[in-house]
Order: sequence, then C-alpha cells, then structure tokens
Amino acid sequence: MKIFKYIMIAVVMFTMASCKKDQYYLYNDIARIQFGPDIKLIYNANSVLADTLKPFTFYYDAPEVTQDTVFFDIYAIGGVSKTDRTFTLEQEQLANGNNAIPGKHYVAFNDPKVSKLYVIKAGTVHTKVPVILLRDPSLKTTTPILKLNVVADANFQLGERKTLWRKIEITDRLSRPAAWTDSYSTYYYGAYSTVKHAFMISITGQKWDQVFMSQLALDLQDYYISVVKTALINYNNAHPGDPLKDEKGQLVIFP
Amino acid sequence: MKHIHISMFLGLIVLFASCKKDNSNYDYKSNEQITVSGIESVYNVVSEKDKLVITPTIESTDADAEFDYMWGIYETNVQGYAPVLDTIAKTKDLSYFIKQPAKAWVLVYRVTNKKTKYAKYTNVTINVGTEFTRGWYVLKDDGTKSDLDLFLSSSATALTEVKENVYSLINGAKLDGKARMINLFSSYKSDVTGIVANTKALFMVSDKDVSAINVNTMKQIRNMNTLFFERPSTIAPNSAFCASSAYYLINAGQVYSIGTNSLNTGVFGGRKLKDALNSPYYISDYYYTGTYGDPCLFDDLNSTFVTLANGSGTTLTNMTDVAGTAMPAVNNNKKALYMGFKSATYIPAPVYGYTTIGFGIFQDKTNAALKILTQMDMDKLKLKLTNDTLKTTDKIYNATMHTLLDADENMIYFVLNNQIWSRNLSNKFEQLQYSPPAGEVVTFIRHKKYAVVADAAFNYNYVMVGTQSGADYKVRMFTKSSGSLSATPALTLTGKGIVRDVMYMSPSVSEYSYSNTY
Repeated sequence: MKIFKYIMIAVVMFTMASCKKDQYYLYNDIARIQFGPDIKLIYNANSVLADTLKPFTFYYDAPEVTQDTVFFDIYAIGGVSKTDRTFTLEQEQLANGNNAIPGKHYVAFNDPKVSKLYVIKAGTVHTKVPVILLRDPSLKTTTPILKLNVVADANFQLGERKTLWRKIEITDRLSRPAAWTDSYSTYYYGAYSTVKHAFMISITGQKWDQVFMSQLALDLQDYYISVVKTALINYNNAHPGDPLKDEKGQLVIFP
Repeated sequence: MKHIHISMFLGLIVLFASCKKDNSNYDYKSNEQITVSGIESVYNVVSEKDKLVITPTIESTDADAEFDYMWGIYETNVQGYAPVLDTIAKTKDLSYFIKQPAKAWVLVYRVTNKKTKYAKYTNVTINVGTEFTRGWYVLKDDGTKSDLDLFLSSSATALTEVKENVYSLINGAKLDGKARMINLFSSYKSDVTGIVANTKALFMVSDKDVSAINVNTMKQIRNMNTLFFERPSTIAPNSAFCASSAYYLINAGQVYSIGTNSLNTGVFGGRKLKDALNSPYYISDYYYTGTYGDPCLFDDLNSTFVTLANGSGTTLTNMTDVAGTAMPAVNNNKKALYMGFKSATYIPAPVYGYTTIGFGIFQDKTNAALKILTQMDMDKLKLKLTNDTLKTTDKIYNATMHTLLDADENMIYFVLNNQIWSRNLSNKFEQLQYSPPAGEVVTFIRHKKYAVVADAAFNYNYVMVGTQSGADYKVRMFTKSSGSLSATPALTLTGKGIVRDVMYMSPSVSEYSYSNTY
C-alpha cells in the first residue's frame, strides 16, 4: 500500500511537469469565412467589431435614385486558393423586428444579379461584399433592418462566431450615421435627433452623413461645431421663449 | 530504510529540475572604455552651403581594438511621422555637405570595437540654418505697408550683414497695413514640404493682414484669406501668440485658435463665444501667457478677465476671484491701458503646472482720471488682483508705452514725453533711464532676453528702444545693471521705416524662447 502511495506521488510529480498551456485555435485547418473591419484596420484590436451595423439612408439622394449599395468587408481564412471561391449569404429574421423584405428593400442574396458578386478571387483572402438596397416608398416612414449572415457551403466553413453577421438599417429619412457614436455624442455633438441633424445640415451646407463624418478632420470638426453652436444660440436668441426643440420635444443642445 | 531510499529518490527527481548550466562570467578584467574626442556638442551650419567636417580622435582601453564607424543624422521636433536615422558615412572622419532643411538635427557617431562588439555612441546637435534662420528681425512699416529687415550677426553684439525688406524681396510685395507684432510658432502645421508637418513659422501681424512665413525660406505660407476655415468678415488683426495647448489669433477683438494637443492642419477654427448667449466682447490688444499655461486676456467691452480653458472648447471662460482680491475679475468697469507678463513659477506635484504674475494698467470707465497699476496673480482660472492707485503726479500715470522686465528685476519701463523711464514695482521709485537724441521719436520699447545654452554666443538680455527720425529708424539695445540701463547701447540696428517689433531668430529659438506677451 505504501509503495502504491509513493508511486502515486511520483506519478503526480511527473504529471505536473507535463503541464503546458494549450495552443489557441488558429482557424487555419480548413477554409473559413467571416466578416471584418476595413482592411486598413485589421491589425487594430479595437476595430474587430467595427462596421457591424451600417445605417443607410436615401435622404441625401436625388428623387430619381432608386437603389444604392452598401459594402462590407469579408475575409477568407485558412489560406488562399488557386481558384475563385464563392461564398453564401442569407438573411436572418429578427424576432419582433421590422425585417427588410427581399425584392422590396434589397436585392435578394440568391438573385443572380448579386450572387455572382459574392466571390473571393483566386490568390486573395479579402473582398468587398455589395448589398444592393432598394428605395421603396415605405422607407419614408419606416426603418427596416437587414441582418445578414455568412453560411457554411462547399467552399467555406464558418469563422469566428462573433464575426459571422452584419446589419443594415435602411431608411429614406434622416438617420444617425454610424460615425455619430455615443462617444461623439458625449464630447462633440450631444444627443442625436433628426431636428439637430437637419439643423447642422442647413447651417453648414454639409451632408453630415457617414462618408462626411467618418472623414472629418478633427480641427475642421471643431470649426463646424463652433459654427453650429453659434447658429443655435443665434436661433434661440431670435426666437425668445421658443428655442429649437427636437422631435421628442427636448431642447437641442451642443455640449 | 526503504522509506529513506524512496524519499531520497523523489528528492533527487526534484533536485534534477534545479540543475542548470553555469554561464557565469569569471573574466575579472575591467570593462572596455572607448573615448571619443574632437567633437563639439553643437554645430551651427547653413543648408546647401556648409560642409560639416569632423575629425575625431578615438582611444580604447583595449590595445588590440579595431573599429567600425557610423555617422547618422535624424531630425527633431517631428510630429505626424517617425523620424528615421539616415546613415551618412561609415568612415572615421566626417566630411558631409549639409542639405537638410533648416531645423535642429541630431548627429549620431557610433564607434564599434570589431573584436569585442562594444560600441560607443556620441550624439551632438546640428543646428541647420538658412540665410534667414539666424539674425535680428525688425518689423517695420512706412505708415501703410509693412516689411522685415534682417540683421545677420556673428554674436549677440556684432552684426555682419543687413538684408533690407526681406519679406517683400521674397514674396514680391509688402504686407498691407501698419505693422503690429511678430511672433514665432515653432510647431505650426503646414504642407510646405509636401506633407503636413511642423513648420517653423514667423507670424507677421499688421492692422490689415497676417502673414504666416516659413522661416527657412521667408516665403508666405498663409495669410488672412487662408488662415481660417472661414475668413472673418472683418479683417482687423490684433495679435498672434502661443500658449499652452493652442495657438491664438485675435482679430477685431475676437478670439480664434488652433488646438495644438490634437491633429490639426494649421488653420484657425471658428470665432470663440463669450457665453451661452453669444454676448458681444472685444479682447484688448494687451495679453500675456506663461506659454505653459492658458493666456490671460482682458475683454475691454465687458471689463472682464477671460481665457480659453485648456486651449480648447467653443466658449471663453471668465476668470474667477481669489479671496482677498482687490477688484472682481468680472465686470470691474475698467479698460486696459497695458498688460504684460512678469514671471512664472512652476508648482510641482501634484499640481505640475505654472502660476503666472502679470502687471497691467487699467483706467476706470466711469472716472477716467482713476488709473491703477494692478498685479495679476493667475493660477489656472483663478485670478488675484492687487491694485496700486496711481497718483496724477506719478510719471507712469501718463505713460504711452510700457514693457515689464521679463522675470528680471521687479520693474516696469515706460515712455513719457519721448523719454524712457522706469518704475520699481516694489517701492514705486521712478527714474529717467534714457533720452533719445533730439529729432528721434520713440516708436517701440520692449525687454527681451534669450538664454539658450546651445546658443551661448548669441544669448542676450536687452531693453530695446526703437526710434524714428524722418524715414529712418534706430533700435538701441541696452544691457542693464540692477534694473538700470547702461549708458550706451550694446548693439544698435539702423534702417528705413518705423520700427514696431524686434525678434532675434536662430535655429535654437522656439515658441518657448520668449515670453508670449504684448
């Protein structure tokens, strides 16, 4: 019995010496596919979840514009291939959500017009995914959501779970651009409202859409904030007792 | 017995794990010493003109040493990109034609013993200049147009050459308007080199325009039409100066700034607001900053001391009172006749900031005969004001120009009846210091000093007196002793026009070299 005890102790000691940290799963076994940030940001850890939601509005477009395209970045992992590889997208129906309707709010992913575009070219691991949005009259009063997922197929299995989806909020009304983040609300623009947004557009003559705001240099942004802040004060001074209020009846304020 | 054997066996297993190879160094020779001599700590050279020749002497405690050499150079004051060490020679001696843009560079000399791989590094400062980067700049005008004269110098007291009207010579025209001031922004952003980067810019201010000039080339970078995202509707520049976190331009009494703590393109933003009601204000010509803190400004319209807190935001901040202050900082019914910087004191941890002292002369708006000499103790946004009511018999009561002795004797100089007087701020003693020759009218007075160790031959501490006689000007630079001027000036600059400001420029001069004050 004592010998058994010593053997056990020796086994435990040897077992401890064999302990080592397990390797991370590198997703390099087979071809997989997942969404990602803009290719300029792929090595920026803070950008892993960038672009998951892209609000889109036809508000700035001329009346004759009937469709527009939103792009996402998608990445193949597990190496390159000598041949083109198609990938597959599908819409996920959100419970209790105002889900976008294919053929009405966007061109269905299995429509040959767009499905042929869902390809990772030979020798590459990245492409832009076009999602064609349709300007339905209902967008004047509603904001449907399109949630799209990559799905496993003959060419690709799925990549990291949290990077398998993207969302688009589609409307024909003024809407909060993705660049108007909560952080920007706190430090620069204040709470979002369509009244404030329209006021900024009318005062500066700029669109204040995603493209404009995401490329706005910091010193130019400071200038525009001083311009709209001054204009708001002048508006309120010119309307004593009736300051500018947003669609919810709250005072429009720039911090 | 078995227990002992088994225990020893298990103990040995554990002890085996502690065995490691002995890599200790049992060489008790003293460390190798490489000595490099024959290299100065600073070299002043002119780009595209001078050749840098250095012949160092190398010695080593290793008698068998054989050396590899490397000379490299990298730039300083870089923002927006990483400086790169450029290898310029791999020989013992250096003979290198300078072609770098004018600014401060660091020359690196590495000597490596090939046998031991031990290397000795020597770093020296290379001040690369152009024909425009060293000398006395005199801002002048003819009553309607402004220009710059440049006096090249070989020391703080010796001139070598005069370049008249260098601004118009390079830019093809004088600056419109009557000259007001010049100031240096050493980290001003421009794309004169093809990318947005720090550019040493001289701001030349007249009452009708401002020219931001590249000191290396004397070429205008921007003017009042291009200095703003939105050109002000009224063009009436007052001043341009640097403070902590921002560059400032005061135009028509309104404050504009460039935040220097964040990315910028050298363009001034929107007009700062007085308050949440966009109330009108008018900032006085007189201001001061400790350069490391926010500026002390005076709103003449509302008789209120204001600043731009942390150099950012869209709205000016009113100063707040400190217990014991002699008059309120806000709505005190005064008008500034003069305000300037006196001294700054660093407050260590946990504050890590500066308090500043300034002095000003203020006139009561209701009783114009009431004038006060006020000491302003500024601690961030708090202001303590200590007043000294001036008697009508005081010489300074009717003074027309003033300058405080910057961090020197507790005195203020002023001009009365075309004579230079001083007043001791502690005991109120007033004394005539200098009377210009008959026919000369004083147009400028300023105390400036320059004390950069790397530029010792050019260091100075002068009270400058500019005069006009007909179409000519003279700037006499006096040293002082115990606050009193020397009998004769140490240096005199002469030229054509009416002098309004003077600044000594060198590759070592930065926006921190001189106090930013009227």
